[in-house]
Amino acid sequence: MPMYRPQSGAGFAYPLDELRDELDRLWTSLTAAPPLHGWGVRPGSDVFPAVNVSESDDCITIEAELPGLDANDVDIAVSGEELVLKGARPEPHQATEPATAGTGAPDGQGTSGQGNGERHKAVTWHRRERGTGSFERRIKLPVAVDASRVEAKLVDGVLTITCPKAAERQPHKVKVRAG
Amino acid sequence: MVNPTQTAPQAATQPRPEQPAQQPKAAAAPGLTYQPNVDVCDAGAEVMLVTDMPGASAESMNVCFEDGVLSVHAKVPQRSLPGRQLGQEYGIGDYRRSFRLGEGFDASQISAEYRKGVLTIHVPRLAAVRPRKIEVRPA
Repeated sequence: MPMYRPQSGAGFAYPLDELRDELDRLWTSLTAAPPLHGWGVRPGSDVFPAVNVSESDDCITIEAELPGLDANDVDIAVSGEELVLKGARPEPHQATEPATAGTGAPDGQGTSGQGNGERHKAVTWHRRERGTGSFERRIKLPVAVDASRVEAKLVDGVLTITCPKAAERQPHKVKVRAG
Repeated sequence: MVNPTQTAPQAATQPRPEQPAQQPKAAAAPGLTYQPNVDVCDAGAEVMLVTDMPGASAESMNVCFEDGVLSVHAKVPQRSLPGRQLGQEYGIGDYRRSFRLGEGFDASQISAEYRKGVLTIHVPRLAAVRPRKIEVRPA
């Protein structure tokens, strides 16, 4: 617990300020500490997309959950130590056609604005929890990567980006000779 | 919420026989369960439940309707990134959510499809309760 320490410039409420800061730190550690196993809460849910990042000897791997997106909907740009992930998630009524509308054109990418407006009028949303629209996330990488060899795949709504480290940043194994 | 044994009673009502084949995978995975985000869209003749379930597969889905409750359970195989974790903003686990349906739905015609990490369930209304436009004739 914080102790009362009169200091020059410290106001009357100094102990309370410190207590508040302590509580803020505790709250931050509780809400930000991943993973919250079994709570059903996704930490960092206020940013989209949430990412998991790992580092191995030769590459940085970034994984993000992007359900409902095609590979064409995602734009990845890498420059030095920063990766920019951009994209847009279409409106559900564009991506998912009602069964009564038939099975043709499931993507609905090229539909006209007027057509979308007509379909939008036809449906009523009782609940909307899935976000839509464009997003952009800048991810700081721990080391420089070789942008020309970055690979990404999107399978079942899970995007995996593999960024090989730049050659000069890869660990160089030194062989010890017996002397 | 986290209770892997809950899947056992659901398997009895599941028309598909794939469920027993998933048991070894479920036993290997930690029992994390998340509640997926859902959009509920009413198109008149049917109601659509659009659910984000990235990382699952159509084979691992268990969608069943019983006593007026439509429940969805998806087993998600554990996946891990290579090397050491630098940051983890989301967890990986199964998905489970249930919806209570009101009267007037045709349970025998419920269909579901899984595509691009999104499960869409179509719940059609009974023909008798579907909204219909009544034409007004001039007298």
